[in-house]
Amino acid sequence: MEPTNKQHNPYWHWIPAAFALSGIIVFIFATYGPPASSSGFVSTLKGFFEWVAPDYVAAKAHYKAIPGPGSWLFAFALGMAIGGFIAGRTSRDIPVRDMPPIWKRRFGDSRTKRYAATFLGGFLILFGSRLAGGCTLGLFISGSTQLAISGLYFGVVIFAAAMLTARLIFGKVADQEGIQ
Amino acid sequence: MTLIWLGLFSGIAFGFVVQRVGATDAHRMARAHLMLDADIPRFMLLAVALSAVGLFGLQSAGVGRVLPLPTSIVATGLAAVIFGIGWGLTGYCPGTTWAAAGEGRMDAVFALLGGLAGAALFAQLHETLVPILYDPTNVGQITLTDLFGNQAVAVAMLVIVFGMCTWGIGRLWRS
Repeated sequence: MEPTNKQHNPYWHWIPAAFALSGIIVFIFATYGPPASSSGFVSTLKGFFEWVAPDYVAAKAHYKAIPGPGSWLFAFALGMAIGGFIAGRTSRDIPVRDMPPIWKRRFGDSRTKRYAATFLGGFLILFGSRLAGGCTLGLFISGSTQLAISGLYFGVVIFAAAMLTARLIFGKVADQEGIQ
Repeated sequence: MTLIWLGLFSGIAFGFVVQRVGATDAHRMARAHLMLDADIPRFMLLAVALSAVGLFGLQSAGVGRVLPLPTSIVATGLAAVIFGIGWGLTGYCPGTTWAAAGEGRMDAVFALLGGLAGAALFAQLHETLVPILYDPTNVGQITLTDLFGNQAVAVAMLVIVFGMCTWGIGRLWRS
């Protein structure tokens, strides 16, 4: 086995990165309000359904509660995609992959399998987020920043459930993985 | 209109930072969940502690808007379990899905599509599920300030606990 922690680490150090992120979060609280990203999914859907089925949108409580695409929430989600695009294009060191190596080692090369799994996982994280009213950012990070019990409670449980799930899925191959 | 530009700008900055720290990499997320890499969880917890201090400063100056979400013992907990299973399986959460899809990761594009489907299903079931799961155990918009009786003390407690967790993760995670 290669000495994993001797490898070149292409990522920003977590301490300055946390200062940068909290600067952005405080900026968002000052200029808009609590940041959220799972709401951007609802905004996207609202825009789509207002176009194909306006009566449906007008009748549903969940769409009434969240603004459509002409909103801060949708612009933020779109901005995240643009930010990811710019960051990905300007970094030579951080690998962009369609499939994580740890997944390949556990389940093989099948893209279909990985894409089906991420579709299902994406489904679960958004279904859960909408039930709770927010996600990692909209409930855990922005809730805890506002000292909300909901954010702290959600944070503890999502970390525990994700760590247990990852262990059940990848536990067998966990020790063979390097940072890349 | 200003709000849309602010949202776009904030999103670009946020997406850039989470990509640079490696949170859009599902491999790095899986290693974090397997306790092999401490950086992402420490990054998240420190960011919350610093933001809480920053927000306290804003509120003292009378700037900004807050809206703490209510806590429903059943719905928030159940939602977190469902969310955690998806997060452990994919390595993506809703925000990083957008950034990772923009970065060009195809598995994140499928996570985004799955997310749209999940959000659409919940929106369809909202009127049925919220009265059953959310409302009965909804204890309201409670915060640490209600618990400690003073906001400055509550912020200090949060910073101490998150600081200790950040230190503890550095000790317990193998990296």
